Amino acid sequence: MVPRLPLAEELVVANPSAPVDALSPTALRAIFSMRLRSWPDGSPVRVFVLPDDAPGHVQFAKQLLSIFPHQLRRAWDRGVYSGTGQAPNLVKSDAAMRAAVANTNGAIGYLPREMVDASVRVIEVE
Amino acid sequence: MDTPSRQACTGLVVLLVLTLSAQSRAFELPESVQIHGFLSQGYISTSGSNNFFGESSDGGSWDYREIGINGSWRPTPKLQFSMQVVGRDAGKTDNDGVRIDYGFADYSFISDADRLWGARVGRITNPLGFYNETRDMPFTRPSILLPQGIYFDINRNLALSADGVQIYGEERTSIGDFYFQAGAVQPRTDDPAFQDSFTGGILPGKLDGRLSWVGRALYERDGGRIRLAVSGGVFRGKYDPKQGQIDLEDGRFRFAPLVFSAQYNAEKWSLTSEFARRTGEFRDFGPFLSDDKATGQSFYIQGTYRFAPKWEAVLRYDELRWDKDDRNGKGWEAATGFPAHTRYAKDWTVGLRWDITPRIMLRAEYHRVKGTGWLAALENPGMRPTPILPSTLEDDIDEDWNLFALLASFRF
Repeated sequence: MVPRLPLAEELVVANPSAPVDALSPTALRAIFSMRLRSWPDGSPVRVFVLPDDAPGHVQFAKQLLSIFPHQLRRAWDRGVYSGTGQAPNLVKSDAAMRAAVANTNGAIGYLPREMVDASVRVIEVE
Repeated sequence: MDTPSRQACTGLVVLLVLTLSAQSRAFELPESVQIHGFLSQGYISTSGSNNFFGESSDGGSWDYREIGINGSWRPTPKLQFSMQVVGRDAGKTDNDGVRIDYGFADYSFISDADRLWGARVGRITNPLGFYNETRDMPFTRPSILLPQGIYFDINRNLALSADGVQIYGEERTSIGDFYFQAGAVQPRTDDPAFQDSFTGGILPGKLDGRLSWVGRALYERDGGRIRLAVSGGVFRGKYDPKQGQIDLEDGRFRFAPLVFSAQYNAEKWSLTSEFARRTGEFRDFGPFLSDDKATGQSFYIQGTYRFAPKWEAVLRYDELRWDKDDRNGKGWEAATGFPAHTRYAKDWTVGLRWDITPRIMLRAEYHRVKGTGWLAALENPGMRPTPILPSTLEDDIDEDWNLFALLASFRF
């Protein structure tokens, strides 16, 4: 195995327009598996993710969703290729993630703590 | 590949290229529209004179390709329209060119953090087992060929999707997620090998689908670490006798699969097993074809191991019996003249998957098989009884055989 630096903590972030400050683990997993498509007020959720093998994505999936990236991938593919769902939006880097979440209504994503600034809202998971 | 099918596939490739270039330019689709697709080319080589997806025993067959493009539009979070068009070629068992695999409207009545309930209307994929709904999409399969004991490819269209309505529900609870689907549908009976397996290649007329049922209950714990499912259906059809030399009446067929599925997913490995029981029944065809009913059984057990990033290995044992009361097919051979080994198949598979990039995948696999239960008589005349179609030496079919396959796939 390649030795890896300790990973930064990932936080769930949303567009400042998001109508909530907190989500349950069940709701968070439903959103990132692309099964919960709207915020409590009925407006559409727009999900942003890093590539499957990005360390931040692996960390986020395992720690905040308690599932493995390959399970997420399978859930998305099942939705997209059976017509029953849609795929999340892919961004290539933490900087692109922050920009996309900050500039898209209804957006949700995740960022390492040190990347979080006032352009996005941190969502508590409880 | 015949000419119409080649033209259709070419058309689909052109459409795919246009879509890709439209995506790469800043051509603005509404953000609720998504377009995805896949393109896949396989190579299959078989031992002896057993053929699978083309003339695979004679220097190998390249006659196995899949091209698909799908679009979805979600004007509101509650409403989605989806359609997938697929061009598929699989030897003589599939050369119909382009067809709509699914196309439906999906409306969710209830959607919150704990549940999702809704209905779909149109052509909908059948929720059978773990793999049926996305069986065309090579990236979603555990191997190049799905375990044929349950997901036999000779009646792919019938199995894949059907026209009708479906109610679905999802309950997310503290002990796991529960998924339900139930549909009333008219099955598709347009598979060449399925029509052929019924008519034996000699009867006139064709089968048409009648009102049928299909459904699944699925339980997932920890986001899919443990997955358990029961699925089943009753597929019904009617024979439409055309004028011919054999006088048959408009008989019925009924095909009822019941599938139990279980899967455990760890980070590096997954263990999957499915067991299926199918009842097939033919009746009311008149004095020239006696009523027939048989219950078949299949199961497989499969391990996948993600031993390095981008790499996955698979090992599987898969067994098919067309009649549980005549496991070795001897009774069938005595009664009909069909070789006994056409009634079962025991398949050991080893395979390797390499995801070169998230969009490009290469696969190789080797099957060692005893029995010919999932080969198509359409491609293997030696499977037919001698009195009906005199077999020649080159038509001879081996009970013990092997299959080697390669696959290159692209997705977007």
